[in-house]
Amino acid sequence: MAELVIGIDLGTTNSVVATVHGSAPTVIPNRAGYRITPSVVAMARNGKRLVGALARRQAVTNAERTVVAVKRLMGRRWSSKAAQEVIVRMPYTVVAGPHDDLRIALGDIQYSPPEISAMVLTELRLDAEAFFGAPISKAVVTCPAYFNDSQRNATKDAGRIAGLDVIRIINEPTAAALAYGFGRKESEKQVAVFDLGGGTFDFTVLHMFKGVFEVEATGGDSLLGGEDFDSRIIDWLAEPFLQKNGIDLRKDKMSLQRLRDAAEKAKCELSSLKSVEINLPFISATQKTGPLHLQATLTRDQLENLTVDLIERCTRVCEQVMGEAKVHAGQLGDVLLVGGQTRMPRIHDAVKSLFGREPSKAVNPDEAVALGAAIQGGMLLHEEQEMLLLDVTPHSLGIAIAGGFFQKIIPKNTTVPTSAHHVFTTVKDDQTSAKITVLQGETELAADNELLGEFMLTGLRAAPRGGVDIDVIFDISADGIVSVSALDVQTGMRQSITVTASSGLTEEEITTAARANEDWMLGQKEDPRFQDRKAKAEELFKEFELLWPRLTRAAQNGLGQEPLARAQAALSVARLQLAQKESEALAASIDRLERMLGALKGAVERGLGNT
Amino acid sequence: MEFTGLRPARGGTLLAGSSGGVKVDLPADMQGELRDLESRLTPLTHYELLGIPADADGGAIRRAYLSKSKRFHPDAWYRKELGEFGPLLSKWFQKLSAAYQILSDEESRNAYDEEHRKDLSQSDRDAVARRGLSRAEQDRRNREGRERLLRSKGFARIGAARKLFEESQQLAQNGERGNAIAALKAARELDPNRKEIAQRMVEMEREQARARAQSALVVGREREESGLWVKAIAAYSSAFQNDPSLFDAALGAARAAQENGDLQLSSTWASRAVELNPADAPARFLLARAFKAMGMKARTRAELTLLLAKHPDHKEAKALLRGL
Repeated sequence: MAELVIGIDLGTTNSVVATVHGSAPTVIPNRAGYRITPSVVAMARNGKRLVGALARRQAVTNAERTVVAVKRLMGRRWSSKAAQEVIVRMPYTVVAGPHDDLRIALGDIQYSPPEISAMVLTELRLDAEAFFGAPISKAVVTCPAYFNDSQRNATKDAGRIAGLDVIRIINEPTAAALAYGFGRKESEKQVAVFDLGGGTFDFTVLHMFKGVFEVEATGGDSLLGGEDFDSRIIDWLAEPFLQKNGIDLRKDKMSLQRLRDAAEKAKCELSSLKSVEINLPFISATQKTGPLHLQATLTRDQLENLTVDLIERCTRVCEQVMGEAKVHAGQLGDVLLVGGQTRMPRIHDAVKSLFGREPSKAVNPDEAVALGAAIQGGMLLHEEQEMLLLDVTPHSLGIAIAGGFFQKIIPKNTTVPTSAHHVFTTVKDDQTSAKITVLQGETELAADNELLGEFMLTGLRAAPRGGVDIDVIFDISADGIVSVSALDVQTGMRQSITVTASSGLTEEEITTAARANEDWMLGQKEDPRFQDRKAKAEELFKEFELLWPRLTRAAQNGLGQEPLARAQAALSVARLQLAQKESEALAASIDRLERMLGALKGAVERGLGNT
Repeated sequence: MEFTGLRPARGGTLLAGSSGGVKVDLPADMQGELRDLESRLTPLTHYELLGIPADADGGAIRRAYLSKSKRFHPDAWYRKELGEFGPLLSKWFQKLSAAYQILSDEESRNAYDEEHRKDLSQSDRDAVARRGLSRAEQDRRNREGRERLLRSKGFARIGAARKLFEESQQLAQNGERGNAIAALKAARELDPNRKEIAQRMVEMEREQARARAQSALVVGREREESGLWVKAIAAYSSAFQNDPSLFDAALGAARAAQENGDLQLSSTWASRAVELNPADAPARFLLARAFKAMGMKARTRAELTLLLAKHPDHKEAKALLRGL
């Protein structure tokens, strides 16, 4: 039996887990039976951790303790402009972390973005374990092609906290192409992947031949996605309301969450309808006017006008990447649409006019990425998979040089593994040490690029300036790990480091978080008595159901409504406990329900239930 | 941030030593192939490395590279015990990649053939010559074909234009940009109303100019690193002529001219660079320095003020301003 490995599409709004089962890649349904799990985490009032659909369902009533779109915070610095722009839109509270990172405050506890992501990953891992009936530890996780090293490492850390060995992080559009190319080994083809997800946009051009997938160029925007389309609708709703009533709905966490839900729903409906009604009763209230309601009609044309610049940003990226890949739109064999936002008709049209062809319908836009990740996992671990992915570095890599400038050493879109080196000389007489600052990015000024790491080369020979040559060697391995070594050319003295951009968490914090998560999972482990209790509870539900018509009659015949209301409340509590697998609490509920059932049956038999 | 003076360095060789008693999982033929590659005395040409004749077309080069990758990419042997062969796989994959990169573009391939004529085997030299001849022959045949099609009358002209357009796509895919442009030109003459053709032609020509500019830029950098200032300026200037939006070329020329002591020229190039990217600190600093050296104090001050407005922490600019 080949080693089990799962592929995870850890999305901004939704996540999907898949595996290569037998010979075909398949999506693993979650334990509730759905193929998609919302990437939402909440802390319920009773301190319980809720993930997925359960968390999403309670978002409106518990907006401040419900975390959505955490992917947008991954690997970001508190001091960055991008982070600040994202934070203001979030219904939950984001505070500065100890390492210029972000922390999410849920009640008294602060969580880092990787910890929240780890909760989603843990959920998917449990789903996969339930599917296989065996423990899972290996996974391939996807991230947007345009994620930088900090964001990738934050994703990797989330995997570690969730107890997963993330054997590879691959780019979402590449994964989608793998899903497309699976089982089409015979053909040679050039395809483009247009991936507009919940939070990010990516565009990638690939060439495939006999099971080898060569990424030719990739590019994107890590802050452009479905969420931005929602935001435009939210503003469109909130601005006139502010004018009229003087209340900014976006300032109130609960109304913002309701606006978000309404905006997303309207946006999705406008993919098939020409106009939709948005109705938000009791959205706010003032002393003077009493409750306020919000009602509006949004048409497809209006939505398209609101988002025209967002779509233009997408097409600009496409043109730039095609230029880098030296490919013309007409040469492409197929264009794949990935990500839920590509369902918007206007985007479909924009793609069609840009490439002069109908986009391919060969892959499912929601599932292709997870399937591709699973395929990559199989490619690495299972020998029979005769496929190979040649991926590229999405950003240029280099070092800071005198004057505060950035010297590129490995340009972007270089196939990995790769290495390059440059010889530098000392700039001062008797210089004994030199600092090497490793950066990632495209701008000329060192300070504008992402800092990957720094190291000091010490113990240089005393020599006049220019007398010591230092050879700096960069290596990027197939799994994207950057290592840098520096060599004193004359003496052969060598120093090296492996560069990992900080994800915002220290090694110690990751281990602590991983242990806490492990404990939580042990706590989740099913009580052996749970199955018996579940059967018993379901039996009771059925008995109540059968008895109910006679009980309603009894209520009218003098028993009164109160015992029925109490029974109903007890039943819904038990159902919730069953769904959340709270074994002990369920046992108590069963006792109570049994007592109630006995008493009610007695009442019915005493004749109250007869007409 | 204490380095300056970039110089290209020569790559070190990695020799296969003993495996140190580790059980190696790599198939014997792959081990043999890597050992053979390592023990060669003369370096392989890019054609030999990819296992293709020197007259292979673009498609064949790509297919050879992708097929070889299946054996040489480290992921193909993921989770296998590779011992000493691990780094070798990575190294030879990178060599394959680099060879493919150069041969897959018409301009850089021609430059490679020119430069490495003496390294090629007799048969490959013949193949390069053959490719030259067949390209000339192909060019002639294409030209004749185009001329024949150009003589089409009436509605046939539209069909002929479409045929040429499709041909140009095929040629472009094979990396034959020159021929693709010629085919497009003929197609446009046949069917001047079809926007697609004219548009594609402009794109291809721009692409060609950009490719030429890029290779001139690389040459310029190499010459600059070897201190050949005048030659570097010539290369940079040719890059700029081919692609007037190429900021790096203008900046490079300004830098090389300043190193060469030609302040007038340096200030011309630096102002071009500044025009292309007004926010760029190095370009403006070069310009200021050139003005200063020419004794133009007011203009130096103006440039430095603009520079410091954008980059208030620029130490060298501050120092220069204080010196005024």
